[in-house]
Amino acid sequence: MRAPRLAALLALAVGCAGPAAANAASPGSAGLRTGAFDPPRPAPDFALPTTHGGEFRLSRYLGKVVALTFGYTSCPDVCPTVLAELSQLRARLGGAAKRVQVVYVSVDPERDTAARLRAYTEQFDKTFLGLTGSPDQLTPVWKAYGVSVVRRDLPGSKPPTYLIHHSASLFLIDPTGQLRVMAPFGTPLDDVVHDVRTLLKE
Amino acid sequence: MRTLLVVTLLGLIGVVGAMAQDAPIRLEKSWVRRAPAMPDAGPGAESNAGGYVTIVNRGTSPDALVGATADVAERVELHETRNMAGMMMMEPVAKVEVAAGARVELKPGSYHLMLIGLKRALQPGQTVTLTLRFERAGALTTHAAVR
Repeated sequence: MRAPRLAALLALAVGCAGPAAANAASPGSAGLRTGAFDPPRPAPDFALPTTHGGEFRLSRYLGKVVALTFGYTSCPDVCPTVLAELSQLRARLGGAAKRVQVVYVSVDPERDTAARLRAYTEQFDKTFLGLTGSPDQLTPVWKAYGVSVVRRDLPGSKPPTYLIHHSASLFLIDPTGQLRVMAPFGTPLDDVVHDVRTLLKE
Repeated sequence: MRTLLVVTLLGLIGVVGAMAQDAPIRLEKSWVRRAPAMPDAGPGAESNAGGYVTIVNRGTSPDALVGATADVAERVELHETRNMAGMMMMEPVAKVEVAAGARVELKPGSYHLMLIGLKRALQPGQTVTLTLRFERAGALTTHAAVR
């Protein structure tokens, strides 16, 4: 008698956790290990120029898991770490990697030209899609995903150089276009692989 | 004569070996992140790469990493990446302290060397020579694999 009641209470608690729990691992949500959106919400759609010359529109990727992240080409530490892990993610998925699209949105429109961003993303994986554009094109996308972008000038650098403080979370969008996961930087790759496989199997 | 020379050489090798063993700071597991050749690298938009190494202080005095150079970069800065509620912030630091007996790991998302203004693309399989300058131990060199 007691056990079912406890289970019901737990289910209620998980259900009420809401999107605020996005940063916390909530294993109650469809068996996902990383920070799950509970309940899932429609991923904000957007369109941006790709580094290949065409236009990317998120809603055209229904049927695939989209792994979406943000960064810039002059970033020496965090961004290449994220991209290297996403490259390992595709390798770990084997044949299923065909149903996963990695999308990398620039947070540095001033320096990240299409040619530069393409060279940068392709060194990690030729299938990665790099997206850049004008500040007017990029800003709404950052906002839609809650990505903060703050320019930080390096003191005394010649020529003047700046770094960009930015959110480096990985977003996973399921094949039905629902935003399911926000995995913070440093999430173990095993957990990301697990969650992508889970979303592909649903 | 020849014997004397050999003995002297052996002695020298022994001394150098002993010096290496007694050096309190040891550098381990150094590597540098790959970096492509990128077009449009105008002023302030040069290619950069992260450098990583584990510093082991086997001595009885604290020491500190205070600077570095790399054969492939215009200059190298010491940086720390910090995670402020999901926002990754990277800041230059003046030094990285290594307490006596401590092991400090420069790794992604933490302390790292920022190689600024790469003179060439860095491909996996290549090696970068990093020279790290310590307050007490002076300059130490390590050969870092590109990954």
